[in-house]
Amino acid sequence: MKNKYIFGSFIIVVFLGIMIYLFTQSNIQYQDDFTQVMNTTKTVKATGSWVKEKSYHHDKENNTFTFYMVDGNGNEMKVAYNGSIPNNFETASSVVVTGKYVNGYFHAKDILTKCPSKYEDEQVRTSTL
Amino acid sequence: MIAKAIALFKKDYHSELRTRYAINSLAMFIIVAISVILFAVGQEKLSEGLAGGLFWVVIFFTAMSGLARAFVSEEERGTSLTLQLIAAPSTVFSGKLLFNIILVFCMNTVIALLYAALFESFVIKNFSLFVFAFVIGNIGLAVSSTIIAAIIAKAGAKGTLYPVLSFPILLPLILTSVQLTLFALDGTSIEDAKFELAIVVSYDVVMLTVSYMLFDFIWKD
Repeated sequence: MKNKYIFGSFIIVVFLGIMIYLFTQSNIQYQDDFTQVMNTTKTVKATGSWVKEKSYHHDKENNTFTFYMVDGNGNEMKVAYNGSIPNNFETASSVVVTGKYVNGYFHAKDILTKCPSKYEDEQVRTSTL
Repeated sequence: MIAKAIALFKKDYHSELRTRYAINSLAMFIIVAISVILFAVGQEKLSEGLAGGLFWVVIFFTAMSGLARAFVSEEERGTSLTLQLIAAPSTVFSGKLLFNIILVFCMNTVIALLYAALFESFVIKNFSLFVFAFVIGNIGLAVSSTIIAAIIAKAGAKGTLYPVLSFPILLPLILTSVQLTLFALDGTSIEDAKFELAIVVSYDVVMLTVSYMLFDFIWKD
Protein backbone atom coordinates (compact mmCIF):
# COMPACT_ATOMS: atom_id res chain seq x y z
CA MET A 1 0.00 0.00 0.00
CA LYS A 2 2.87 2.37 0.88
CA ASN A 3 4.64 1.47 -2.36
CA LYS A 4 1.62 2.56 -4.38
CA TYR A 5 1.89 6.13 -3.10
CA ILE A 6 5.66 6.32 -3.50
CA PHE A 7 5.44 4.99 -7.04
CA GLY A 8 2.51 7.27 -7.83
CA SER A 9 4.23 10.39 -6.53
CA PHE A 10 7.29 9.50 -8.58
CA ILE A 11 5.23 9.28 -11.78
CA ILE A 12 3.46 12.55 -10.98
CA VAL A 13 6.69 14.46 -10.31
CA VAL A 14 8.38 13.15 -13.47
CA PHE A 15 5.48 13.89 -15.80
CA LEU A 16 4.72 17.25 -14.19
CA GLY A 17 8.36 18.18 -14.77
CA ILE A 18 8.14 17.14 -18.41
CA MET A 19 4.92 19.12 -18.82
CA ILE A 20 6.34 22.31 -17.32
CA TYR A 21 9.50 21.99 -19.39
CA LEU A 22 7.51 21.51 -22.60
CA PHE A 23 5.23 24.44 -21.78
CA THR A 24 8.23 26.77 -21.92
CA GLN A 25 9.32 25.19 -25.22
CA SER A 26 6.06 25.36 -27.10
CA ASN A 27 5.67 29.13 -27.27
CA ILE A 28 6.26 30.97 -30.51
CA GLN A 29 9.93 31.84 -30.70
CA TYR A 30 11.63 34.98 -31.91
CA GLN A 31 13.91 34.45 -34.86
CA ASP A 32 16.26 37.07 -36.23
CA ASP A 33 17.95 34.83 -38.81
CA PHE A 34 15.86 34.67 -41.98
CA THR A 35 17.61 31.58 -43.39
CA GLN A 36 16.17 29.67 -40.41
CA VAL A 37 12.77 31.30 -40.86
CA MET A 38 12.73 30.03 -44.45
CA ASN A 39 13.69 26.48 -43.47
CA THR A 40 11.10 25.90 -40.76
CA THR A 41 7.39 25.27 -41.23
CA LYS A 42 6.60 26.53 -37.74
CA THR A 43 4.98 29.83 -36.89
CA VAL A 44 7.71 32.23 -35.79
CA LYS A 45 8.19 35.87 -34.93
CA ALA A 46 10.71 37.17 -37.42
CA THR A 47 12.49 40.37 -36.49
CA GLY A 48 14.23 42.60 -39.01
CA SER A 49 13.86 45.90 -40.75
CA TRP A 50 11.97 47.12 -43.77
CA VAL A 51 13.94 47.51 -47.01
CA LYS A 52 13.13 51.10 -47.94
CA GLU A 53 14.73 50.86 -51.41
CA LYS A 54 12.30 48.16 -52.55
CA SER A 55 9.31 50.09 -51.21
CA TYR A 56 5.99 48.48 -50.34
CA HIS A 57 2.82 47.73 -52.18
CA HIS A 58 -0.77 47.80 -50.96
CA ASP A 59 -3.34 45.98 -53.09
CA LYS A 60 -6.67 47.66 -52.33
CA GLU A 61 -8.84 45.02 -54.02
CA ASN A 62 -7.50 42.03 -52.09
CA ASN A 63 -6.51 44.17 -49.10
CA THR A 64 -3.01 42.69 -49.03
CA PHE A 65 0.12 44.53 -48.10
CA THR A 66 3.52 43.34 -49.34
CA PHE A 67 7.00 44.55 -48.54
CA TYR A 68 10.58 43.30 -48.19
CA MET A 69 12.38 42.70 -44.92
CA VAL A 70 16.08 42.30 -44.22
CA ASP A 71 17.75 40.74 -41.16
CA GLY A 72 21.08 41.57 -39.50
CA ASN A 73 23.04 39.35 -41.91
CA GLY A 74 21.55 40.94 -45.01
CA ASN A 75 19.14 38.12 -45.94
CA GLU A 76 16.04 39.47 -47.59
CA MET A 77 12.54 38.01 -47.73
CA LYS A 78 9.19 39.06 -49.09
CA VAL A 79 6.40 39.51 -46.54
CA ALA A 80 2.67 39.44 -47.31
CA TYR A 81 0.05 40.60 -44.83
CA ASN A 82 -3.72 40.47 -45.11
CA GLY A 83 -4.77 43.91 -43.99
CA SER A 84 -3.93 47.56 -44.24
CA ILE A 85 -0.60 49.28 -43.63
CA PRO A 86 0.13 49.47 -39.89
CA ASN A 87 0.58 52.83 -38.23
CA ASN A 88 4.07 54.32 -38.13
CA PHE A 89 5.25 51.74 -40.67
CA GLU A 90 7.39 54.19 -42.62
CA THR A 91 9.18 55.57 -39.58
CA ALA A 92 9.68 52.21 -37.87
CA SER A 93 13.25 51.33 -36.98
CA SER A 94 12.51 47.61 -36.86
CA VAL A 95 9.59 45.32 -37.65
CA VAL A 96 8.42 42.06 -36.00
CA VAL A 97 6.19 39.84 -38.13
CA THR A 98 4.39 36.76 -36.80
CA GLY A 99 3.61 34.00 -39.28
CA LYS A 100 5.28 31.39 -41.41
CA TYR A 101 7.27 31.08 -44.61
CA VAL A 102 5.42 29.24 -47.41
CA ASN A 103 5.92 29.21 -51.20
CA GLY A 104 8.62 31.84 -51.44
CA TYR A 105 7.23 34.49 -49.14
CA PHE A 106 6.38 35.07 -45.48
CA HIS A 107 2.66 35.00 -44.64
CA ALA A 108 2.30 37.42 -41.74
CA LYS A 109 -0.65 37.21 -39.37
CA ASP A 110 0.48 40.18 -37.33
CA ILE A 111 2.91 43.08 -37.74
CA LEU A 112 4.51 44.98 -34.89
CA THR A 113 6.44 48.14 -35.61
CA LYS A 114 9.08 49.57 -33.37
CA CYS A 115 9.29 53.33 -33.46
CA PRO A 116 12.54 55.23 -33.14
CA SER A 117 12.84 56.61 -29.66
CA LYS A 118 12.87 60.37 -29.29
CA TYR A 119 15.24 60.12 -26.36
CA GLU A 120 18.19 59.04 -28.48
CA ASP A 121 20.92 60.65 -30.56
CA GLU A 122 20.57 64.00 -28.82
CA GLN A 123 23.92 65.73 -28.79
CA VAL A 124 25.00 66.91 -25.38
CA ARG A 125 25.58 70.63 -25.57
CA THR A 126 28.30 72.01 -23.43
CA SER A 127 27.99 75.46 -22.05
CA THR A 128 30.26 78.08 -23.61
CA LEU A 129 29.99 80.52 -20.80
CA MET B 1 -11.51 -6.13 -10.71
CA ILE B 2 -11.86 -5.35 -14.41
CA ALA B 3 -14.98 -7.54 -14.63
CA LYS B 4 -16.46 -5.66 -11.68
CA ALA B 5 -15.63 -2.31 -13.23
CA ILE B 6 -17.33 -3.36 -16.46
CA ALA B 7 -20.36 -4.53 -14.48
CA LEU B 8 -20.48 -1.09 -12.84
CA PHE B 9 -20.24 0.55 -16.25
CA LYS B 10 -23.14 -1.59 -17.50
CA LYS B 11 -25.22 -0.57 -14.49
CA ASP B 12 -24.53 3.11 -15.23
CA TYR B 13 -25.25 2.57 -18.90
CA HIS B 14 -28.65 0.98 -18.20
CA SER B 15 -29.70 3.59 -15.65
CA GLU B 16 -28.61 6.30 -18.10
CA LEU B 17 -30.73 4.76 -20.86
CA ARG B 18 -33.69 4.69 -18.48
CA THR B 19 -33.52 8.33 -17.36
CA ARG B 20 -31.42 9.82 -20.21
CA TYR B 21 -30.47 12.65 -17.87
CA ALA B 22 -26.82 13.11 -18.92
CA ILE B 23 -27.47 12.50 -22.63
CA ASN B 24 -30.34 14.98 -22.68
CA SER B 25 -28.48 17.72 -20.82
CA LEU B 26 -25.41 17.30 -23.04
CA ALA B 27 -27.47 17.31 -26.24
CA MET B 28 -29.50 20.35 -25.19
CA PHE B 29 -26.38 22.23 -24.21
CA ILE B 30 -24.63 21.46 -27.51
CA ILE B 31 -27.63 22.61 -29.54
CA VAL B 32 -28.15 25.79 -27.51
CA ALA B 33 -24.46 26.77 -27.41
CA ILE B 34 -23.84 26.19 -31.10
CA SER B 35 -26.98 28.03 -32.19
CA VAL B 36 -26.09 30.99 -29.97
CA ILE B 37 -22.65 31.10 -31.59
CA LEU B 38 -24.23 30.85 -35.04
CA PHE B 39 -26.58 33.77 -34.29
CA ALA B 40 -23.77 35.84 -32.81
CA VAL B 41 -21.49 35.22 -35.77
CA GLY B 42 -24.20 35.96 -38.35
CA GLN B 43 -22.81 36.57 -41.81
CA GLU B 44 -19.31 37.19 -40.51
CA LYS B 45 -16.65 34.71 -41.56
CA LEU B 46 -14.91 33.31 -38.47
CA SER B 47 -11.13 33.19 -38.55
CA GLU B 48 -9.50 29.81 -37.97
CA GLY B 49 -8.16 30.88 -34.60
CA LEU B 50 -11.60 31.93 -33.41
CA ALA B 51 -13.26 28.74 -34.68
CA GLY B 52 -10.70 26.56 -32.85
CA GLY B 53 -11.14 28.53 -29.64
CA LEU B 54 -14.95 28.47 -29.77
CA PHE B 55 -14.81 24.71 -30.42
CA TRP B 56 -13.14 24.21 -27.04
CA VAL B 57 -15.40 26.72 -25.28
CA VAL B 58 -18.39 24.59 -26.28
CA ILE B 59 -16.59 21.38 -25.26
CA PHE B 60 -15.64 22.77 -21.84
CA PHE B 61 -19.11 24.03 -20.91
CA THR B 62 -20.86 20.96 -22.30
CA ALA B 63 -18.61 18.77 -20.18
CA MET B 64 -19.45 20.95 -17.18
CA SER B 65 -23.18 20.58 -17.74
CA GLY B 66 -23.37 16.80 -18.01
CA LEU B 67 -20.38 14.96 -16.61
CA ALA B 68 -20.99 15.71 -12.93
CA ARG B 69 -23.87 13.20 -13.07
CA ALA B 70 -21.54 10.22 -12.62
CA PHE B 71 -21.26 10.66 -8.86
CA VAL B 72 -24.03 13.17 -8.16
CA SER B 73 -26.66 10.62 -9.24
CA GLU B 74 -25.32 8.04 -6.76
CA GLU B 75 -25.46 10.65 -4.02
CA GLU B 76 -28.99 11.79 -4.90
CA ARG B 77 -30.42 8.29 -5.00
CA GLY B 78 -28.54 7.38 -1.82
CA THR B 79 -26.84 4.41 -3.43
CA SER B 80 -23.27 5.46 -2.73
CA LEU B 81 -23.16 3.56 0.57
CA THR B 82 -24.18 0.33 -1.16
CA LEU B 83 -21.55 0.91 -3.77
CA GLN B 84 -18.92 1.38 -1.06
CA LEU B 85 -19.88 -1.98 0.43
CA ILE B 86 -19.73 -4.06 -2.73
CA ALA B 87 -16.72 -2.67 -4.57
CA ALA B 88 -13.20 -1.37 -3.94
CA PRO B 89 -12.67 2.38 -4.54
CA SER B 90 -10.44 1.87 -7.59
CA THR B 91 -13.08 -0.41 -9.15
CA VAL B 92 -15.77 2.23 -8.66
CA PHE B 93 -13.53 4.85 -10.20
CA SER B 94 -12.68 2.65 -13.20
CA GLY B 95 -16.34 1.99 -13.91
CA LYS B 96 -17.31 5.65 -13.67
CA LEU B 97 -14.29 6.69 -15.72
CA LEU B 98 -15.19 4.23 -18.49
CA PHE B 99 -18.71 5.64 -18.59
CA ASN B 100 -17.49 9.24 -18.71
CA ILE B 101 -14.87 8.49 -21.39
CA ILE B 102 -17.57 7.06 -23.65
CA LEU B 103 -19.87 10.00 -22.89
CA VAL B 104 -17.08 12.52 -23.67
CA PHE B 105 -16.22 10.77 -26.93
CA CYS B 106 -19.85 10.76 -28.10
CA MET B 107 -20.34 14.38 -27.08
CA ASN B 108 -17.16 15.67 -28.72
CA THR B 109 -17.72 13.71 -31.91
CA VAL B 110 -21.15 15.33 -32.21
CA ILE B 111 -19.66 18.79 -31.52
CA ALA B 112 -16.87 18.25 -34.08
CA LEU B 113 -19.32 17.05 -36.74
CA LEU B 114 -21.65 20.01 -36.11
CA TYR B 115 -18.73 22.44 -36.29
CA ALA B 116 -17.48 20.91 -39.53
CA ALA B 117 -20.97 21.15 -41.00
CA LEU B 118 -21.95 24.63 -39.78
CA PHE B 119 -18.75 26.71 -39.78
CA GLU B 120 -17.03 27.12 -43.10
CA SER B 121 -13.71 28.11 -41.54
CA PHE B 122 -13.58 24.89 -39.48
CA VAL B 123 -11.82 22.83 -42.15
CA ILE B 124 -9.38 20.26 -40.81
CA LYS B 125 -6.31 20.17 -43.01
CA ASN B 126 -4.30 17.62 -41.01
CA PHE B 127 -6.81 14.96 -40.11
CA SER B 128 -4.47 12.49 -38.37
CA LEU B 129 -3.15 15.23 -36.05
CA PHE B 130 -6.71 16.28 -35.23
CA VAL B 131 -7.77 12.70 -34.40
CA PHE B 132 -4.68 12.12 -32.24
CA ALA B 133 -5.14 15.40 -30.34
CA PHE B 134 -8.89 14.74 -30.07
CA VAL B 135 -8.41 11.27 -28.51
CA ILE B 136 -5.80 12.27 -25.92
CA GLY B 137 -7.61 15.53 -25.17
CA ASN B 138 -10.86 13.66 -24.57
CA ILE B 139 -9.21 11.16 -22.23
CA GLY B 140 -7.72 14.03 -20.21
CA LEU B 141 -11.09 15.80 -20.06
CA ALA B 142 -12.87 12.62 -18.94
CA VAL B 143 -10.33 11.77 -16.22
CA SER B 144 -10.31 15.30 -14.75
CA SER B 145 -14.07 15.72 -14.84
CA THR B 146 -14.66 12.32 -13.22
CA ILE B 147 -12.38 12.99 -10.26
CA ILE B 148 -13.81 16.50 -9.78
CA ALA B 149 -17.34 15.07 -9.97
CA ALA B 150 -16.39 12.71 -7.13
CA ILE B 151 -15.07 15.62 -5.06
CA ILE B 152 -18.14 17.83 -5.49
CA ALA B 153 -20.77 15.06 -5.18
CA LYS B 154 -21.12 15.57 -1.44
CA ALA B 155 -21.00 19.38 -1.54
CA GLY B 156 -24.00 21.71 -1.40
CA ALA B 157 -23.90 24.00 -4.45
CA LYS B 158 -22.84 21.38 -6.99
CA GLY B 159 -23.86 23.31 -10.09
CA THR B 160 -21.59 26.28 -9.47
CA LEU B 161 -18.78 24.45 -7.71
CA TYR B 162 -18.16 22.08 -10.60
CA PRO B 163 -17.04 24.54 -13.32
CA VAL B 164 -15.23 26.72 -10.78
CA LEU B 165 -13.19 23.79 -9.50
CA SER B 166 -12.66 22.33 -12.97
CA PHE B 167 -11.40 25.46 -14.63
CA PRO B 168 -7.90 25.67 -13.06
CA ILE B 169 -7.42 21.91 -13.39
CA LEU B 170 -8.52 21.79 -17.02
CA LEU B 171 -6.74 25.02 -18.02
CA PRO B 172 -3.43 23.47 -19.19
CA LEU B 173 -5.33 20.82 -21.14
CA ILE B 174 -7.64 23.33 -22.81
CA LEU B 175 -4.87 25.81 -23.70
CA THR B 176 -2.80 23.08 -25.34
CA SER B 177 -5.79 21.51 -27.05
CA VAL B 178 -6.81 24.87 -28.55
CA GLN B 179 -3.27 25.18 -29.88
CA LEU B 180 -3.41 21.63 -31.30
CA THR B 181 -6.80 22.28 -32.94
CA LEU B 182 -5.31 25.40 -34.54
CA PHE B 183 -2.40 23.33 -35.82
CA ALA B 184 -4.81 20.77 -37.28
CA LEU B 185 -6.79 23.56 -38.97
CA ASP B 186 -3.56 25.15 -40.24
CA GLY B 187 -2.25 21.87 -41.60
CA THR B 188 0.87 21.75 -39.42
CA SER B 189 2.62 18.35 -39.47
CA ILE B 190 2.56 16.04 -36.44
CA GLU B 191 6.34 16.46 -36.22
CA ASP B 192 5.95 20.20 -35.50
CA ALA B 193 3.18 19.64 -32.95
CA LYS B 194 5.10 17.04 -30.94
CA PHE B 195 5.68 19.36 -27.96
CA GLU B 196 1.97 20.08 -27.58
CA LEU B 197 1.04 16.41 -28.02
CA ALA B 198 3.59 15.43 -25.38
CA ILE B 199 2.12 18.03 -22.98
CA VAL B 200 -1.37 16.54 -23.33
CA VAL B 201 -0.06 12.96 -22.93
CA SER B 202 1.82 13.90 -19.74
CA TYR B 203 -1.29 15.73 -18.48
CA ASP B 204 -3.30 12.53 -19.00
CA VAL B 205 -0.72 10.44 -17.13
CA VAL B 206 -0.51 12.91 -14.23
CA MET B 207 -4.29 13.21 -13.85
CA LEU B 208 -4.79 9.44 -14.08
CA THR B 209 -2.17 8.76 -11.39
CA VAL B 210 -3.46 11.52 -9.12
CA SER B 211 -7.04 10.28 -9.51
CA TYR B 212 -6.27 6.67 -8.63
CA MET B 213 -4.16 7.77 -5.65
CA LEU B 214 -6.63 10.26 -4.22
CA PHE B 215 -9.90 8.51 -5.00
CA ASP B 216 -9.54 6.20 -1.96
CA PHE B 217 -9.67 9.22 0.35
CA ILE B 218 -12.45 11.03 -1.54
CA TRP B 219 -14.66 7.95 -1.67
CA LYS B 220 -14.26 6.80 1.93
CA ASP B 221 -15.16 10.07 3.64
